[in-house]
Amino acid sequence: MKSLKVNGVERQFDPDQLPGTLSALLEAMGVGTDAVVAEVDGRIVRREEFARTEIQAGQQIELIRLMGGG
Amino acid sequence: MDKLTIADRTFDSRLLVGTGKFSSPQVMAQALDASGAEIVTVALRRVDIDNPADDTLREIDRERFLLLPNTSGARTAEEAIRLARLARAATGIEWLKLEVTPDPYYLLPCPIETLKAAEVLVKEGFVVLPYINADPILAKRLQDVGTATVMPLGSPIGSNQGLKTRASLEIIIEQSNVPVVVDAGLGLPSHVAEAMEIGADAVLVNTAIATAGDPVAMAVAFKLATEAGRRAFVAGPRAPAPNAEASSPLTGFLRD
Repeated sequence: MKSLKVNGVERQFDPDQLPGTLSALLEAMGVGTDAVVAEVDGRIVRREEFARTEIQAGQQIELIRLMGGG
Repeated sequence: MDKLTIADRTFDSRLLVGTGKFSSPQVMAQALDASGAEIVTVALRRVDIDNPADDTLREIDRERFLLLPNTSGARTAEEAIRLARLARAATGIEWLKLEVTPDPYYLLPCPIETLKAAEVLVKEGFVVLPYINADPILAKRLQDVGTATVMPLGSPIGSNQGLKTRASLEIIIEQSNVPVVVDAGLGLPSHVAEAMEIGADAVLVNTAIATAGDPVAMAVAFKLATEAGRRAFVAGPRAPAPNAEASSPLTGFLRD
């Protein structure tokens, strides 16, 4: 198994099922368009870059959204 | 009403509204509409992987409202800077409500971390609106590093206690060269009117509108109070006096 740490939680994937890009990861997790920005190992990735941002096992990924706040 | 200018933008409304705690996106949208606000704050959070697509902000018309992302949740300058950069990448907006609140009980802002973060973020091109305690020295220091406003609190966030810091707010207002936005603790329209009457440039309200029995009606009340307070300030209110001063002539025909 290969793993990614997504929003603080280790997620296991079969080696041939590991999503290759951020967009593929979002699709695999059913997150859709909710995430507006991400961090991959601390590097900020804009939504427009999700499709071309490759990810690898062992990376730490943060998926961030906007929500109501004061 | 006279217009409000922050950084290079001009606004008709002097009421900023937060988008937290509303019962639904629809109620939020109606309340924002009724408030007349042009600047609305939003927060950043992790996507809830198990419950995604909870987009409470989809109802906000981004042509009409300037989104003001905040750094809520940050307890250090470093965390606030990280959130600020994420917010800019997410929204394309350089405006930022900077808040660093290490104490979860009173949610009071840390002056040292806030100043540290402001120095970095101003240099990175952010339009920084810092949430601070009502500390006149800190307000001046922030203004000196180039923040677009200062946002001193009236009382702790969400506490509805009103202007507990009035004496210090008056000093900040007197000394400030940037707009003073009184933020936090404004629980009633009368609190907002009081802040505006003493010369605040604007106010920020969230909890008192969002958690009211009728948030839309309350948004109208806050809008009117903001306008009333501003108009009173501009009109030049008279100071209180210890003795009476007759409004009607006391000379008359009843007694010689």
